Formats: sequence, C-alpha cells, structure tokens
Amino acid sequence: MAIVMVENNEKTMNPSSIKIRTGNQMIAEGALHAGCQFFAGYPITPASGVYKAMIEQLPQRNGVAISAPDEISALAYCVGASGRGAKAMTASSGPGWSLMIETVQYALMTELPVVIALVQRLGPSTGGATQNGQADILFTEFCTSGGYTIPIFAPSTPQECFEVTTIAFKWAELLRTPVIILSDKEVGMMSEDVDFAQLKSSPAWYRKEFSTQNGKEHLTYDFQELADVPLFSPVGGNYKVTMTGSAHDKRGTLQKNSSETLDVLIHLQKKIEAHIEEMAIVRVDEQENADTLLLSFGITARTAKEAARRANAEGKKVRNANIITLFPIPETLLKEAARGVRRIVVAEENMTGQYRSVIQSLFAGKEIVGVNSVGKMITPGMIMEALV
Amino acid sequence: MTEETVQQYAYKKENASFPFCKGCGHHHYVNHLDDALVKLNLDPKKVCIVSDIGCIGILDSLFATPHTFHTTHGRSTAFATGIELADGILNDSRMKTIVVIGDGGATIGLLHLVNAAMMNVDVTVLLANNFLYGMTGGQHSQFSPLDFVTPTTPAGNIVPPMDICSIVKTCGASFVRQAAATDKNLGNIIAEAIAHPGFALVEILELCTEWATPFNKIDGKMINGKIQYSESDSTPGRSDFSSLYKEKVLGAQKKNVDDTITPKFTSPLQGTRRIVLSGTAGEKVQLASFLFMKSAISSGLHATQKNDNPVTQGSGFSVSELCISSEEILYTGIDEPDAVIISSPEGLKEARANGTLSKCSTNTVVIAEQTLPEFECPGKVFRLPLRAICTGNRAALSALASLNVKKGWVSQEALVEMIDTKFKEKSLLYHRDIESLVPLITI
Ligand SMILES: Cc1ncc(C[n+]2csc(CCOP(=O)(O)OP(=O)(O)O)c2C)c(N)n1
Ligand code: SF4
Ligand SMILES: [Mg+2]
Repeated sequence: MAIVMVENNEKTMNPSSIKIRTGNQMIAEGALHAGCQFFAGYPITPASGVYKAMIEQLPQRNGVAISAPDEISALAYCVGASGRGAKAMTASSGPGWSLMIETVQYALMTELPVVIALVQRLGPSTGGATQNGQADILFTEFCTSGGYTIPIFAPSTPQECFEVTTIAFKWAELLRTPVIILSDKEVGMMSEDVDFAQLKSSPAWYRKEFSTQNGKEHLTYDFQELADVPLFSPVGGNYKVTMTGSAHDKRGTLQKNSSETLDVLIHLQKKIEAHIEEMAIVRVDEQENADTLLLSFGITARTAKEAARRANAEGKKVRNANIITLFPIPETLLKEAARGVRRIVVAEENMTGQYRSVIQSLFAGKEIVGVNSVGKMITPGMIMEALV
Repeated sequence: MTEETVQQYAYKKENASFPFCKGCGHHHYVNHLDDALVKLNLDPKKVCIVSDIGCIGILDSLFATPHTFHTTHGRSTAFATGIELADGILNDSRMKTIVVIGDGGATIGLLHLVNAAMMNVDVTVLLANNFLYGMTGGQHSQFSPLDFVTPTTPAGNIVPPMDICSIVKTCGASFVRQAAATDKNLGNIIAEAIAHPGFALVEILELCTEWATPFNKIDGKMINGKIQYSESDSTPGRSDFSSLYKEKVLGAQKKNVDDTITPKFTSPLQGTRRIVLSGTAGEKVQLASFLFMKSAISSGLHATQKNDNPVTQGSGFSVSELCISSEEILYTGIDEPDAVIISSPEGLKEARANGTLSKCSTNTVVIAEQTLPEFECPGKVFRLPLRAICTGNRAALSALASLNVKKGWVSQEALVEMIDTKFKEKSLLYHRDIESLVPLITI
C-alpha cells in the first residue's frame, strides 16, 4: 500500500500552554498542523469559526484561504487545488453539505484527497442555525450514488477537534479520498481551556507521489492489488494526468463495464476497507465486569462519560466508550468494548438513533437501547435513566 | 547567434476518431483548440484541459498530451479555479488552465463563470454554444434562440436567450469574444484567449446536426449574424487573482497576540459551578462571561463558555452559560444553575423562555435588575438596582464580580486584573459598582 511519511512536524510544545479555544478554532489549528495549504469557505453557523480562523492564519503561512460564492464552489476549488497537489479543506454544516454532495463524489471517484469539516446544526432544511444536532450521521455517510464508505471522525472536545483533524488529513492523503470531520454545534462553538502542551496529533502525511523510478508508466489510477492506492502525480506535473468522474480504467479512459473499469470501482471501496482496523478509534473508560456498555460520540460523549461516572459511583457497572471513528464502523473495537455486557445504550442527539441503527447488528443477543433527543442536549440524567 | 531547434509539441491524438455526430460543430471546436495549442506551442505538461459534461465534455479523450480533468456538469470552471489558484499561488504559476464547457454547462454552473470573471482568475473558458443540450436528447437550453424548436419546446422557445458575453463582461471579464465554430480565425482567437493573463471567455457558436438543424432553419449564415462581440474586449490593467493574492494577502503579517493564560492565581473551589448570564445584546454580557472564564482559568480552574443570541446577532437577548470547575468538565449543559444574573427585560424574557428560571433550585442565587416585573423562580432572588448603579453595559460583569466576592469561586485578584487590563481607566467604574453591590448581596 502506498503509505509514505514525508514529514513529522510534531512540535515540541511548552510544559503548559493554556489558551481559550472553540472546537472550530481547534479544527483550524489541526489543519495547519497537518500541513493544510488550501482552504475555501462559505459562511454558515455553526461552522464559520473554522473559515474565519483559516482566513486569519493560512495566508500567514503562505497558504491560500479564500471565500467561495457557494459551497459547491468551495468544495470544487478544494478538489481542483488537490489535483494540483495541495492539501485542501473546507468547512460547512447541513445546508452547505447538501450542496457539496455532487462534488464529494467527484473527489471520491477521482481519488483526490480533501478534508471536509461539518459542524452539525438542527435540521431539516435551514433548521436551527444556533441549535445543536447529531442528526446528520446517515445524511453524511450515505451520500454517494453507488454506496461507498467515506471515513468520518467525530470529535467531542476542542482537543479532539485538533487531533481528529490531523487524523482526517492523514487518511485523506494516504488513501486519496475525501474524509469528513463530523463535529456539532456544541463542540464547535463552545469555548474551553485547552492546554496546547497536551494535544495529541497524527504526524503530517502526504500522498505518495509517482516517479519514473518506480519503473512503470504513469497511469492516473494505477494499482496492483484492488486495495492499493494509486501513486499521485499532480496536474501541471511531469506525468500526464487524466482525471474523470465517469467510470474509467486505470488510465482514466472513460469505459463502460470493461472488467478493468469494474475493478477500479471495486478498488475505490477496497482501499478503504483494507484500513478499517487502522482507522478505528474508540476510547473506552474501562470497567471490569461491566453489564452495560454506554456508547456515544461528539458532544454527547462528554455527557455520557459523566453519566457513567455517576452511575458507577452508585454501584452500577457501566463501561463507557466514546466513538471517534464513526465510519468505517470500528467493528472490532465495538465488539471488544461490548464483551461481557448484557445491555448496550447508545446516546445520540437525534430522533431515531441513527448510529444505533447501523451498529446494532454487531451485537446479536444483547439488548440495545437508545437515548435520543431533538433540539435539546442529552443530559446525564436522561442517560442514567437508561442505565438500569 | 546559434540557432536553437525549438521542439514542436503535439496535443491531439493522432488519427483519433471523433465521438461526435457527422457535421457537429464540436469537430471544428476540437481542431481549432488544437491549432491554438500548436500555435502557442505550450509544454503540454503545463496545460490542463478541464472539461464539463455533455457531448463537448468528452473532448478530453481526444487529447493525448495535456493533462485533462473531466468534471461534473457546470462545475468545470470551479475545479479550474481551484487548479489555477493552487498553481498560481502555491506553485510557480506554470500552467494554462482551459475550460471546455457547453451552453448547458454554462447555465447550470453560471455562478462559477460569474465568479471566475469577477475574480479574474487566469482561466480560459471556451464555451461551445450549440443552443441546446445535445447529449441528453436536444432539449432546449437557456441559450436557445426565440422560436427554437426542440423536444422540450415543441411550440418554439418563448424565452429570449442568455447573452453570456454581456454577463461576464459586466462581471469584469478581462477578455470576451464570440466566433462561429467554422470561423477560419478561431484558432488564433483561442490562442489569444489562452495567452491572455486573467479570465478569458470565447463563446463559440455551433450547429448540432442531430437536434438543431433537422427541426429549425439554422445555418452558418444565421450563426454569423448572431455575433456581437467580434473585437477582443479586454479590460487592461487588472491583475489576475493569483498575482493580486500573492501581492496583497499572502504572508501579510498580522500581529499574533499571544493569548496564553498562566494559572498564576488559585481558587479554593472544589467541584463545578454553573452560571447563566441573561441580558441584552450589545450590553457586554458575553464579554463579562469571557472575562470571568479567563479569571477562572488564571485561578487554575477549568472552564467552558457558550453563548446564545437570536439569529440576528446584534439585537434582542444575549445569553452566556459558564461552567467552572476544579475537575475536567464533562457535561457542559446547565440543569441546575448555581447562579443566574438577569440584567435586562430581554434577559428576563429569554430566561423564562429557555427554561433557565424553572431550572433554578432553592440553592440557586439569582441576581436580577430591580425594575424588572415580578417573576416566579425557586431560587434565592436578589433584586438589585443594577442598571441604576452600573448602567446596562457594566451590569452583568459587575453583578457577577460582586457575587464572586461573596462566593470566592474564582480568585478575585485574577478577576480584578482582567477588568483592569481590559477597561484601563474605566475599570474604576467597575470597582465602584462592586463596592456598591457587594453589601446588597446578603448571603
Ligand atoms: C447534475 C447533472 N444534471 C444532469 C445531467 C445530465 N446531462 C448530461 S449532458 C447534459 C446536457 C449537456 O448540454 P451542453 O452542456 O450544452 O453540452 P452538449 O451536449 O450540447 O455539447 C445534461 C443535462 C448531468 N450529467 N449532471
Ligand atoms: S448530439 Fe449534437 S452536440 Fe452531440 S455530438 Fe451529435 S451533433 Fe454534436
Ligand atoms: Mg449544448
């Protein structure tokens, strides 16, 4: 697989360096840390903080941060820039995401890395700009005609916003695919003390580039094994690039149903599936002999942690887990977290239990229940009621 | 002088079989584009053809050497803009980026053309206008002439056609031309457009032999009659976007204020306190909250702050919720506030509406402006002359700081330092407010 580490720009940080930051600002910090060079934005509450921070900081580091006239343009600018070799990101929320779905599929099909930070608000339609929601899980993941897995990472704190952004860039670059950071209004807009000395991050990675030293002709979408990631060459570089969003062979030639073309289509999914385990992040607060597993993500993961602590202090046996990697579904880690428990409680701020609906088949024989809410934060009390 | 042999590059595939119907204008378009590239003799590795959707969009397959980017319907100009910005600003500006788009693409993606013209990005748009959607079965487009008969305008088109040249000109396009696909000079015009630094658009008028000519009286002569922009319409002296960005924005050093907070004070607080400030937008409610949060962090505590206001940000209520804690803060909501400060009628209205008042317990300290109407609340309510003493602008912070004198949640020394640093000589007013308010909070 084409993985190369070009640079480890892990900073040696001060012993303690506390600043007040929002989750949105920390996504921008994470992007800068990951070596993002290109940002295009369009204003939308609750994601505008990312846009503002990138406009303020990226040009100072000789990167491009520009304003697009809509979200379609914003993402298309990013994907074009990625084709020219730039690490690129945009940020939006539900209504803007609606407009980006055509272009995210193009990025997926053309294997151009891009990171999209989505800060959820209350839907549907323009919904509630300043109200929270965790109800775009299915809307975000299942957006491709053809049914492809888009990696999605969900942060629950400003610190995790930083970390998850560096991870999102890592996988976007290494797998040459769009990756989504799925934050929410509460995480994005709340300010908090952040100790920069304690931040975790992934080292900065860059897609592995093609060179003739590999001894082969350059094909835009070349791979040996279906799960391999094609070596990259930018438009404007030394090797002819043939990008296309239409079904194509390894050369990028438009084709109908040739076996090579079908292989390319399968490869797009296989290259993601081959890294499910490496992408999986589930943070478990261990509790031996637990009889209940409490699962959540985003802002609700903080509430769940508190509810689990209180419940355990009352003598209950609750194991709490914060799911950072929503997709591809971290099956192994989730099953491991569920070992020995009788009951699984999934807390998420949406009406129907969206994430619960996609993971429940993993837990055959166990009782699985949801704690849900619309337009109101889930409280520790609501979760504790479900921890019987 | 030694004579150098200049390499002549080739672009189009040799003996390529064109995918277009017999007589389709797209044949001329491809050949003229090739002529232009040959004339300019650009290194094909520095050329990117960004094609749209439709019959014209599949032209990318006819070019052997330049980079090609076959995109989605109407979006070609936006992808090209991204390529050009990354090339022109992040790289050495080596590339020529050429958009190949039909009349259908031009309307579904009109904003991208408009914005590229406004930005004056160094992109060349070659618009193949055959007055209809060829690929999908000849449906009329917004470029169809009046009375044009198509499968979707069986009675003839009744809406006048779009004048794209005038649109992009209005948007500041620095190069605009129209020509028939059969024009012998088209190769030269395209070459001129590509060489032009900045946005250039050439509208190329064509016949779709499959859908236009069989049902309409339309021929080369009529097409020639439609040409209005025959001279290059250039706006001189306007820098292209990438050059301007490099000159004005890139590396521009803004003062980066170091906002690191040193926890040099201490607080005896154990556990978490949750505070709601509810007042009026523009009366420094959120600033009060921010300074208190900063003081808490300076006192070695953790803190979270979230603000709420109506969608129009500068009017109506302004609410800020604060949590301060000796421990890591997990749940960031407020189910039972430790303190509520209501400094105005808008603040009271919102505290009622969002449930803050009903969430109070008998342990909650509520400090409310004296002149507010009576309200139901289980908390210990102090109705104080906040606005008379502090005016609206200082009410929230002075009330919170006064309560802190009684409670000792954050280091008062830290809070005074924040107030002094923020308000300079005006901080005296806050000191005076606090002196007056503290004795009135009899807890
Ligand atoms: C978003 C989207 N809507 C509709 C289509 C279907 N479609 C394919 S080609 C085409 C029309 C193309 O017309 P034009 O751009 O004028 O090119 P021509 O075929 O006339 O050369 C349409 C609508 C599409 N590909 N994408
Ligand atoms: S349908 Fe019309 S535009 Fe398309 S190839 Fe045929 S003649 Fe040309
Ligand atoms: Mg057309």
